[in-house]
Amino acid sequence: MDDIIRKTRYLPVLRLHVSAGRVGLVLGLFLLAEFVALGLAGYVIALPSPNSMDLLARLDGPSADHPLGTDHLGRDVLARVAAAVHISLGAALAAMAAILAIALPWGIIAGLSGGRVDAVMMRLADIIMAFPMLVLALAIIGFMGASLQASILGVAAAWWPSNARMVRALVLAAKERDFVHAARLCGASRGRIVLRHILPQILPPLAVIISLETASVLLALSALSFLGIGAQAPTPEWGAMLNEARPFFAQAPHMLLVPGLAVSLAVLAFNLIGEGLRDILDQREPYQW
Amino acid sequence: MRRFLFMRLATALPTLLGMSFIAFAIVSLAPGDPVMQELRAMGVVPKPEDILAIRAQYGLDKPFFSRYFDWLIRALQFDFGQSIASGRSVIDEILIHLPATLALALSSLIGAIGFSLALGLAAVSAGRATGAALRGLTILLVSVPSFWLALLLIYVFVFQLGWGRLVGDGSIGDLILPTLTLSLGAGASLGRVVYERVRAEMCEDHIRLAIAKGLAPPVILFRHIVPRVIGPLATTWANTFGALLGGAVIVESIFGWPGLGQLILQAISQRDFPVIQAYLVFMGLGFFITSLLADFIVILSDPQLRREVSNG
Repeated sequence: MDDIIRKTRYLPVLRLHVSAGRVGLVLGLFLLAEFVALGLAGYVIALPSPNSMDLLARLDGPSADHPLGTDHLGRDVLARVAAAVHISLGAALAAMAAILAIALPWGIIAGLSGGRVDAVMMRLADIIMAFPMLVLALAIIGFMGASLQASILGVAAAWWPSNARMVRALVLAAKERDFVHAARLCGASRGRIVLRHILPQILPPLAVIISLETASVLLALSALSFLGIGAQAPTPEWGAMLNEARPFFAQAPHMLLVPGLAVSLAVLAFNLIGEGLRDILDQREPYQW
Repeated sequence: MRRFLFMRLATALPTLLGMSFIAFAIVSLAPGDPVMQELRAMGVVPKPEDILAIRAQYGLDKPFFSRYFDWLIRALQFDFGQSIASGRSVIDEILIHLPATLALALSSLIGAIGFSLALGLAAVSAGRATGAALRGLTILLVSVPSFWLALLLIYVFVFQLGWGRLVGDGSIGDLILPTLTLSLGAGASLGRVVYERVRAEMCEDHIRLAIAKGLAPPVILFRHIVPRVIGPLATTWANTFGALLGGAVIVESIFGWPGLGQLILQAISQRDFPVIQAYLVFMGLGFFITSLLADFIVILSDPQLRREVSNG
């Protein structure tokens, strides 16, 4: 009996019936798998090097040699989009890891300590949140000089406070549960309470936040690369590819379509996963008229 | 109300001070010596005593915090020094470009609010299939990067239909495409919030009661749901305005709209620190003022808070 209860609690996905959220989640995971496959495609099929130029085939449309056409230097667009998977998604994941590395301890410590520590920590986060996020990222890139690393750091520095705030809100709700009080009364150490009782509670909503935030970080990073202050020119990165494609807009629309679709679909994948998870976790039903 | 305003400003003071400190620190701690840069810009081979003299002239020999307070006092008088690149006063440069950016951000905010209300309310009140389709559309629009959307709009409206032009002179007509770009993206993410809020409200018991009383759906929507969601929405509107100020940089650079975006991108590539500093301060202030306005809406929309404020 206990076993059944545990299973239904930890595996809500198993209750099989179709809902918009579930469809979205599956679709998002499928899209993400496609990107992983695209990223690994270079190892399976022979793609030209992303930086090898074929000056006789500049700005060519799709052909047998180049399935997605070539760019203004005759580089294969498919190879570049595939090579950019590592860089674009890698940069977004690196930024997200940095954000969580600050936001998670910050939010948990603030939420658990309460009182003056909480007030000071949240004030500090508020100060950074007082700047529009992209504006702060721009300023940080301005002082570090334009590069992909600078844009990752800039985005991480601008994005962590709002994440810390969300983590804190989750912790505040989680620490009031009776079993957490009980654990504390039993003399469980702080570390144990955080690891065994708080973290498991905040993980599902945190998964929603992480997924949606990765989408927004990916958007911001590709926008910065598009502006020419993120990944620099020869690097295959979706935003940077779009930036390079701008002058050849009218002659070679495929140069714009392919990397643009890549960014949009990658962001869409993370958004769908986040929204899908949220739908599955949120079991409230609105009253219908 | 006056008392509330006073309290709100008093609590905002540490935040504002912290903001100014960050703006100062980011630039002061930046690698690269501004004195050497300026000397190099003048084409002079610096002698050690010249460097010391110029350091003293700019007060760079003083300790960090005393430089911060000097800078703060000058910043309070809107004196941000001179642009390293152009040699003109920074505040003049900012003031030339600020109105265009504000116009773009404001018109996009209005567009986004209208679009989000329509989208969110339609998604809530539509049936299961239409609602899911509308939500799908919302997520799709949120996911499309604004720079790509802008390029697609240019391709369709400028190149194919010939309705707009790419190199504008800053007239109202040139504002339409950039505004459309920004309000579609921002409106979709706002629409998501509208949907969430209204849906959460529809799970409450007072809505159940209203339905049981037999009230018409529009009455429930506008009398029972809208007053409760308008406050939280106002806060997200303020945040959206902040996001639009940042997003404006991207869209301005694509459409050639003569706002702060051009200025800041140039400043970043030329490492023009006083301009970056002033930009950060002005955007922070603009965001701060909108948040303040949002707080007023929150209070005006909530009868309990309203009573508390007028009594207290």
